[in-house]
Amino acid sequence: MLWLISAQLVNGIAIGLVYAVMSFGLSIIKGLLNVPNFAHGALYALGAYICYAVVSLQLPFAIGLAAAFLGAAVAGLLLDRFAIRPVGNGGYLPQLIVLFGAALIIEQLLLIGWGTVGLSYSPPAMLRGALNLGITVVPRYIAFASVFSALVIVLVWLLIERTKFGAYVRAGIERPETTQALGINVELLLSSGMMLGAGLAGLAGGLALPIVGATSTMGGDMLGIAFVVLVIGGLGSLYGSIAAGILVGVVQSLTTIVAPSASTAIVYVLMIGVLLFRPQGLFGER
Amino acid sequence: MRMASTRRSLLLSAAALTATSMLPARAQKTGPVAIGVITPTTGTFAYAGELVARGAALAVEMHGGKILGRDIRLLTRDDEGKPASGVRRVQEAVSSEGMRFFLGAYSSAVGLAESEIAQREKVLQFAAGGSEDFTGSRCGRYTLQWSAHPYTAMRATLDYARKAFPQKKTIYTLTADYVFGQALLKYAKVVAAELGFELIGNDNHPFGERQYTQYLTKVVAAKPDILLLNTAGADAVTAIRQFSSFGDDKTAVVGPWTLEVDQLAELAPEMRTGLILGQNYYPDIDTPANKQFVANYTKKFSAPPGYSAAYAYDAVRAILLAMEAANSTEVADVIKSLEQMSWDGVLGKMSIDPKNHQLVRPYFVVRCKTAADMRNPTDFAEIVATEGKQQPAELNECKQMPAL
Repeated sequence: MLWLISAQLVNGIAIGLVYAVMSFGLSIIKGLLNVPNFAHGALYALGAYICYAVVSLQLPFAIGLAAAFLGAAVAGLLLDRFAIRPVGNGGYLPQLIVLFGAALIIEQLLLIGWGTVGLSYSPPAMLRGALNLGITVVPRYIAFASVFSALVIVLVWLLIERTKFGAYVRAGIERPETTQALGINVELLLSSGMMLGAGLAGLAGGLALPIVGATSTMGGDMLGIAFVVLVIGGLGSLYGSIAAGILVGVVQSLTTIVAPSASTAIVYVLMIGVLLFRPQGLFGER
Repeated sequence: MRMASTRRSLLLSAAALTATSMLPARAQKTGPVAIGVITPTTGTFAYAGELVARGAALAVEMHGGKILGRDIRLLTRDDEGKPASGVRRVQEAVSSEGMRFFLGAYSSAVGLAESEIAQREKVLQFAAGGSEDFTGSRCGRYTLQWSAHPYTAMRATLDYARKAFPQKKTIYTLTADYVFGQALLKYAKVVAAELGFELIGNDNHPFGERQYTQYLTKVVAAKPDILLLNTAGADAVTAIRQFSSFGDDKTAVVGPWTLEVDQLAELAPEMRTGLILGQNYYPDIDTPANKQFVANYTKKFSAPPGYSAAYAYDAVRAILLAMEAANSTEVADVIKSLEQMSWDGVLGKMSIDPKNHQLVRPYFVVRCKTAADMRNPTDFAEIVATEGKQQPAELNECKQMPAL
């Protein structure tokens, strides 16, 4: 039993880190643009397809991941310029509707481009097979994905906490009016934030390609989890989503020991439980 | 005066209503024969919808587009893979389009919900799906089941596994937690006992699950000889993909009803290699009707057909043959005709068991090839066994077929 718990714990952390990358992007966009990015799932799917397209050309997986990040970032920029901003003066609701519509358009384009049959990609040879950690066995690719996700999170953390750009981003999230009054180009800042957040969704999609494959509707599955993670972490907290992502992965994984068929529902039960005791989320402020 | 006017209006309205209500009945006897194709084009089984529609369209085309002198009109609707949507689409098509025959659905949960409407509205449903309830506890005179019974599927697949791996004893099952998966699990227990396998563990997973490593970690820990996948569609694709990442080549992966040929392309060749899969249909089936079907389908759509298209083609063809045999397009006549006839279908000699409306048919077991052995991009596997053991009568829960 102890072996099983350890195994599920390791597995949960690994999966949770992929959730965290996805939700971290969502958190940045929510923080900067103050809009829940309903197209985040579609950007995740777009990243998976871009990565697949690149590796299909016999290019290395690393280039596929980079292309997934950049492609989704460019899509994020286009969304910001041509979808969110034109309706920005109308308030919250038009932005939501436009993003929802954009998600449907991206999904349909993927469907037209690649068809309804899902796509699979085996990870590079060096990442195939399993690692025996003594307490458990973990597929090498899952181990790689979790370490890579952790590195990405650290890099983005350094970018936000240790660079001038990051200082602007933090200022933009916490005091947008003051930031603008100080002469900082907030429009550029918002576009950069959208690109970064969207890029992280695309990167998570590319990273998930060898695990879940690529289907045009894959974004919908992930979007639900990303929002749950965001809410559990706290809507106002930039880093809450990282801890919440790992928490959701671990809880989901441990649930399969006692009640496997409840492993999807438990995520939502967890969210309700957290909201009942801390309506602002685990790391959010009132 | 006012009263007279009202009475006249009332009488005119009543007459108009009576005339209007007769129109659909008249149209049903003289207008086109509407056959519904209610399948998923979105959701977990999204890949199947268009393929089912293709198969149905080809059957109509091969029949000359007419039946007993009337045009055949196909009504294609998306059930979204959801029971509520399927029921709504069937109900709408029956009441507003005069649909009296339909193919539906590809998912058991949707098909069973639609079956209730079929019995109530007295319309013929030719279903496909893995639940035994179609021909068991929820059997109905207006519903026919094209797909094999789960017992037939499980028995054929494990019979082959027994022969192929005489030294393998233990089985771990991963089961989709809805009617389809549970039916397979039930018969996995029955057949494992018959063949001397030992079931050492099972995990139920929710429908639409996208993360299987937590279950697969348990499987790897249990070290079974066989991983038996009682799951299908996108769920099965994801489970197999993630199991392959463990690199466990000692455990054989066997799927009694897991991936039809339509979905094998979704897996990379190295993920598919060596999989043993039960199939409702495979393009290599050596029957005259299937050869003709494969040739025509490939010519029209530039790709070989799979289960979805074969089901639709064969079911529509059977309905049309039954209409001709009965010389009628009335639902009751067509059902009686189907219950009595036997036809050369794509799977071979086929008939309907009148006691429960299960199609009496063979089931096929394939073994997936390595990339090097594939002669072309769709040459995924070879048929290694064909078997058609029907469900033992004592296990069938369809006690009595109601009158038409």
